[in-house]
This record gives sequence, structure tokens and C-alpha cells, in this order.
Amino acid sequence: MNSETTGTSEEQGKVVRTTSAFDCGGRCPLRLKVINGEIVNIEGDDAPEPEQLRACLRCRALRKYVHHPDRLLYPLRRVGEKGKGEFERISWDEALDTIVEKLTHVKETYGNESIFMALSGGYLGALHGAGGLVKLMSLFGGYSTHYGNVSSEGAVWAVLTQYGSVMVGHSREDLMNSKLIILWGWDPARMISGTNTMYHLIKAKENGAKVICIDPRFNDSGSLLADQWIPVRPGTDAAMMVAMANVMIKENLQDQPFLDKYTVGFDKFKDYVMGDEDGVEKTPAWAAEISGVPEQVIIDLAREYAAADPGTLMDCQGPARSATGEQYIRCAMTLCAMTGNIGKAGGGAGGGLMGIPVGHMFRSSGIPPVKNPAEAGGKSVRGTLDLNLRLQKRMHTNKMFDAILKGKAGGYPADIKLAWFVANNYLNQLGNTNKNAEALKSLDFMIISELFMTPTARYADIILPVTSIAEKNDLTRPWPSGPYYTAINKAIEPLGECKSDWEIACALAEKLGVEDFNPYTESEWLKMFVELNPETGPQIKDNDKFREEGIHRVDLPEPIIAFKKEIEDPENNPFSTPSGKIEIFSQRLSDSDNPLTPPIPKYMSAKEDHTDPLTKTYPLQLLTPHPRNRIHSEMYKVDWLKETHPHTAWINPKDAAARGIKNNDEVYVFNGRGKLIIPAFVTEKIVNGVVAIFEGAWYDPDENGVCRGGCVNVLTLDEHSGGGASVLKTALVEVEPAREGE
Amino acid sequence: MTQLGFYFNQTRCIGCHTCAVACKDWHDHQEATINWMQINTIEKGVFPHLFLAFIAVPCYHCEDPSCMAVCPADAISKRAADGIVIVDPDKCLGREGCEKTPCLTACRSSSPQFGLAPNAKMQKCDFCLDRLEEGKQPICVEACPMFALEIDSMENLQQKYGKQQAAEGFRYSKKIRPAALFTPKPEVFS
Repeated sequence: MNSETTGTSEEQGKVVRTTSAFDCGGRCPLRLKVINGEIVNIEGDDAPEPEQLRACLRCRALRKYVHHPDRLLYPLRRVGEKGKGEFERISWDEALDTIVEKLTHVKETYGNESIFMALSGGYLGALHGAGGLVKLMSLFGGYSTHYGNVSSEGAVWAVLTQYGSVMVGHSREDLMNSKLIILWGWDPARMISGTNTMYHLIKAKENGAKVICIDPRFNDSGSLLADQWIPVRPGTDAAMMVAMANVMIKENLQDQPFLDKYTVGFDKFKDYVMGDEDGVEKTPAWAAEISGVPEQVIIDLAREYAAADPGTLMDCQGPARSATGEQYIRCAMTLCAMTGNIGKAGGGAGGGLMGIPVGHMFRSSGIPPVKNPAEAGGKSVRGTLDLNLRLQKRMHTNKMFDAILKGKAGGYPADIKLAWFVANNYLNQLGNTNKNAEALKSLDFMIISELFMTPTARYADIILPVTSIAEKNDLTRPWPSGPYYTAINKAIEPLGECKSDWEIACALAEKLGVEDFNPYTESEWLKMFVELNPETGPQIKDNDKFREEGIHRVDLPEPIIAFKKEIEDPENNPFSTPSGKIEIFSQRLSDSDNPLTPPIPKYMSAKEDHTDPLTKTYPLQLLTPHPRNRIHSEMYKVDWLKETHPHTAWINPKDAAARGIKNNDEVYVFNGRGKLIIPAFVTEKIVNGVVAIFEGAWYDPDENGVCRGGCVNVLTLDEHSGGGASVLKTALVEVEPAREGE
Repeated sequence: MTQLGFYFNQTRCIGCHTCAVACKDWHDHQEATINWMQINTIEKGVFPHLFLAFIAVPCYHCEDPSCMAVCPADAISKRAADGIVIVDPDKCLGREGCEKTPCLTACRSSSPQFGLAPNAKMQKCDFCLDRLEEGKQPICVEACPMFALEIDSMENLQQKYGKQQAAEGFRYSKKIRPAALFTPKPEVFS
């Protein structure tokens, strides 16, 4: 019996076509079987190959998240000490009345700027996310907020510098045209860079492409695909790349006509590479010393990439989430230009973001915003590369807890008294978690909209329970890569008294007396979003069919290739930079005169990298890669997922032996900021001198301040790079056996 | 008799466990001890020259199943129509009721499993019989993000994929004749 024809009576159940809205690069069609208000099983996309888009283990476990016994179902008020997680149930009326009272008090006593909105990507839907709430807070007189995407800011800043565009990717099927694929810090088997990306990669390999994996870890993707693994010391990727440029220049391997025609400033970069600028030639021997990668390996890689016709350098954002992260992305893009691979089928422009302009999340519709009065006046920050200018009005995201603690006296734009956290677990997911907890304790009032009692939620004064994706209708998109659009269809009624973030905003608007805040029904909004969006308007002619199927796929006559028209017809299609060309040298950066963001890409060392004298105390570099069995810290509570991959610290056998650590021993990983306990995974799959702990495990400090949950951010820095990257992969630690109870 | 078999393209497996989670979802397995689909990891080599492979282990529905041979209650049988090895919970003596639970040691793949309930009956992968009857592929096959799995008659699989009966982490046994075909991952070091 086909499940589509089971009818719609409650006992027989129904099948709902939908997708997810997690902070995930994939949007995978799902068919949820629902009986008596409960999802009972999940099937995947039933489109024929090759269009079929297959979900990963996370969404296969979706019902265990939606129906998890720990879901928050009612508004809660804190009754115990902050952080202890002791709450009592209250009514929505009481919760919202309290919020109105506190908002009004803070506004009248300190001004709107003392209200802080902490926003993130935990729910990426067009209607039911935080967009409505921030609009309401603008109508209320304004609020303070933060700047800088935790995931990608280093890459975003770098591509805007060099290309003036964030659409730097190719549609994935173009990988079939590549002869050489370099996975630089990229692990799409784990971090879903668009549904089916790994499948396209294995097809490309089966098609004869050579694959090289460059990563301190022999990562999941590399272990499947790589013909060669080049382990590199964290934070030194840019040195390796600069030395590759040195080899190409010395051996005259660069595509000089391409550089002459499409770029500016290659000569200045060349001066730096050859040592004319600073007296140090950036030879492979120089880079070998820094990166730990043998000289000959760098030489061979440079030759091989220069000779590949075509080759694609896939430089992921991961290594850019570091102290000088944007330099690595800029160096990668410069190599893409030197090899003439930009705008070419099977080639690639680098740039980390890997996005295409069809179905991209950045171009989704949403509640029409209004200007935030608290940010009125001053110089426009639109398009600026000058981070300091942006930080005159906003706190950097990875500095928000420092800003809460220090306020204006610490150089921040506001004294924060009240904070509202929506769709994030920032205590856990930003650097220096122990300090973040202190900051949350210092707030006058804190609200969080959440589905679970997360480590962040434990510090809130009021918790508002939020619906999961199964409990509402919405539109969503994958991060970087269509080519398709997806709809979320309501499968079950809201559990308990849960509301969406949008419904919370509407209820609050009523309490605040804001009229006409929500003039449309849910279905009217969603229809309007489809019709008025410049992409979906012309594409989706039958909205009912789109909603029923949950997906609209776009047929591409040929693969999308970033900057194809800029390369084919540069006269009529200049790059969106001031010079109209690829800016290997940026006049804007030269003018801003900030030593952290030099006008040409460079390798720079930084605090807490392998050169820091602090290595005498904390000799190991810390990596914080994406987890495989949750989306950052979302889905952490789902046992089906936990069981698949135990939470461990990866450590090389040499480093383990030197510390008397055996596989599966409990160890302490610590530095001056924090300490956690975790089982060691002693493995050849990581370069010595480095420890890797996957981000997203939940903070659980014991009475001695040791995190029993293995939240890696107790060890990371609450700092940002010159371009605005959150420094979550530049930190030094030590590891020792945890001999508790002996 | 047609023998249905399991095809696994080892050169495509990333060890992600999507098949295993989909299996738990479809069959509604709540207990951590029940894993009809298991994923084993094979790691070889010394830094930086490594080899990594995974092997998906459902029940391989052997042509001469060792579990069936040792069952004291004749609870395990092989379907005549398709060779699927099934267990009859009414006949199974249960974890405590069966003196030696010999099926556990007879199977090299740990396919027979018992839940945690008192005197839980043996259970194992049944190739998603309910789905096969609806003309669908088993849930693991439908779920695999790398399109690495397939179920079909052994003849059809052999025609499509050749006759390789072993892979990294799996040795063929002429005695029990597992109904499985592989595209093994060549042992090449990075």
C-alpha cells in the first residue's frame, strides 16, 4: 500500500512533506508519517535520481527531537539561582506582562540601547523566526545588537574585499568537470555544505578527479575521497598558500594573462611573496618551518594545482574561524586567480562560502524590517570593510558577553541591562563559556525563546517555549546551494503551549498596544513571500502545488559557475569592487591602514597560535570542528544521534604517550579559561601537537568548575580577527589524565 | 528459489550512520542495544599514510544461516520465496528462557539481538519485509546519502556489480554463504 494513499483519518495517519530549518547547509525533503498527532516515522525524498536529495542522520532522527521528553512546553519563570535550572510554570499572560514591564522599565530608566537582542540561526524560516520580534523592538524604540556571523564572517569579509560578491560557488554538479579537487579544511561529510554535496564529490572522484585533503585531521570526507592527506598545523594554511605562490612565480607557472586582465595588485603580492617587501622570501622551506608540511609536499602541490586544467580549491570557512582567518581565504582566492581557475567550468573561485545565487538563504524573503532607531545617525556602514566602523554601533558577536560585563566603560556602544536570546545557545557556542556564564549572571533581566533547557536557558528569568519545525508552516532555504526552494508544512499541532517566535512577537505587540502588527494570516504571508520574491515569484507559478510538495526544483540548463560573465565579458560585467577587478591589492584596506587587515593577503601569526610563548604552559593547539551527529548544539539531546558518535577529544598517539594517556581514558583538557573532562580518542588521524573536540556539546560545570559536558568553548577565546571572524579555532591547551576517585 | 541479497559499495561509505538511524526510526527501536544495522570502522596505517573504511552490517541473510542451525526452538527460518531469514517470536524461548542463546555466538555479524525487556525475544534485520511487500526498497537503502546500498536478487546484483563477496572488514564464508555482494574499498594509503 502506498503511504500517499492511506487517507487522512487520524488513525490511518497522513504523510506530510516538509524539510528542516536548522542552522544546516542542507534542506532535505522529508515525508513525515503522522498518526494521532505524533510523527511515527520518516521517509526521504521520492523524486527520481539524479534530482533526489537525501537527508543525513540528523533529520532521520527528527521525530526524537520534536517529541523529546525534555521539550519545554509552557512559559517558565526562574525560581532558583541563575544557572541552576530551577523554574516554575507560569501563564503566557504572566510571562508577557512581566516582559512588558521589564522592557518598559529598562527603556524609561536607561534608554532603548540597554535592551539587547541576541539573534542567531537556530531557526532559519522566513516567517516564524526572529525577524518579527526585532521589527517589534524597533517599533518599541530600538535595541542594541551584535555584528558578525559566527560561522562565516572571515570568509564573507574576504570575498567582499577581493570580489565584492558573496556568490562565489559553483552548483555542485560542476565538480564533475574538475580534474583536481583540493579539500582545504573542508569536511562536507560532516558539515552539510548543501544536500548531496558529498555525493557529487564521490561522483567526481569516480569520474577520475584527483582529490587532496588538507586538514590537521584526516577528516571524514578526506578519508573517503583523498588520494593524499596533507596534515597542516592549525593557523598556518596561509603560509602554505603563500609558499605555493612562491613556487608558481619562480617556475613561471602562473596564468599571467589572466592576472593582467582580471586582477589588480598581483605585483604587490609578488613583492611580498618574493621578499622584496620585507626581506623574507616566502619559500617552501619558510612555510615548511611554520606549517609542519614538508617543503617538497608544498612544491608538488603548487605544481599540481597550477597544472590542473581545471582544478578547484575548495577552501572551507573552518580554518577562517581563527585569529587571522580572512588571510587564509584571501590567499586561497589569490591562488585561484594565479591558476586562472576563476569563472571556469571545473575550476573555482575559492572564497569559502560556496554559494550560488539560486535558492540561496541570503535571498530569502521575510517580515519587512523597519529601521532600528537605536542605530540611527552616524556614518553609513553599508559595504564597508572597516570593522571598527561597524563596531561603533554594534558589539562583535563573539564579544557580546564581554560587552554585557563591561558596557560603555569597556568601549562598547551600550550598557546592557536586559537581553533576549532567540534561536541560539550563545553561552555554549561563543568563545570563553565560563566568562559568558558570569556575564549572564550580571544581567538585570534575561529572556530566552527556546525548545529545550539549554545551558544558556538555565540563566534566563523568563523562558518562552517555542514550536519545532513540525508545528508550523513556513518557507526555508539551504545556506549556500539550491538550486531549489523548500516549504515547511505543519505536521502536528503545537505541543503544550508552544508558540513560534513570530507568534510570540504578535502576542507581545498586542500587549504593547502596537496596532496592525500582523495584518495577514500565516498562509497570506507565505504566499506573499513566494510571489514577491524576485527569484520565486517568476519560478513558482502554483503556490498550492509548491506547498503540497514542499519543494520546487529549478532545472539548470548548465552548471552555475561563479563570475562566469565577469570573465567571459569583463567590459560589460565588471567585478563589484571599486576597481571593477579582482582585488589582490585593496585600496580600501590600504586607506583604512589597519595592521590586522593588510591590503594584500599575508600569513600572519597570532596570539595563542603555535608561536606563542604560552605554548610552554599549554603546548597543544585546539581545534573545534563541527559535530557529525547534531547541528552545532541543536539536537544534542537526541539519544539516537548521541549513540552514533561518542563525544571524544582526538589526540595523536605521540602526544598521548607523552602524557601517559591510552585510548578511551578520561582526560582533562584545560587552559587559563577553563577545564573539561572527556574520553580521549587516540588516533593517527590527527597531526601531533593538536587536540580536536567537536563543538556543540552542552556546558555542565561541576562544583570545581570542570565542565562535565565537554563544551569545548570553555577553552576558546572571546575575540575576533581583523576582518571580524570569531576566533574559535585559535587556542592553546594542555591535556592530562583525569584520575578522579583514585 | 530467489535469494535476495545486500549490496554495499564500500568505496562510497562515509560511516555517517544515516542508514542505522533510519532503521531505528522505521522499526521504532527505542533501546540503545538494538541496532539492526551496524557500522564497523577499519583503520590502518601510520600518520600520515592512513587507510579508513567502513562496513555496513545488517543481517546478510546467509544461504545456510548459522543462527538457524543452532536455534534450539526452530524459531529461525528462511523464507522459501526470497531467502530472507526471519525469527518467530512466538517460538523463540527468549533471552532468559533460552539456556545458551546460541544464536548470539553463532553469528559473526552480531545480527541476532535481544532487547532489555524481561525475557526479550530475539530480533534482527528482516530486510524491511513490510517495505518490500509494498514494492519499496528497505529504509537503509532509501536513506543512504551516498547511494551505496541496494537490495535485489543475488543474480541481478551479480549482473550489475560482479561477484565480489568480501570487503575490508568482511570475510566470506563458504559454509554459511552470506547473501551479500560488495564493491570493496582498495587498500590504498593516503
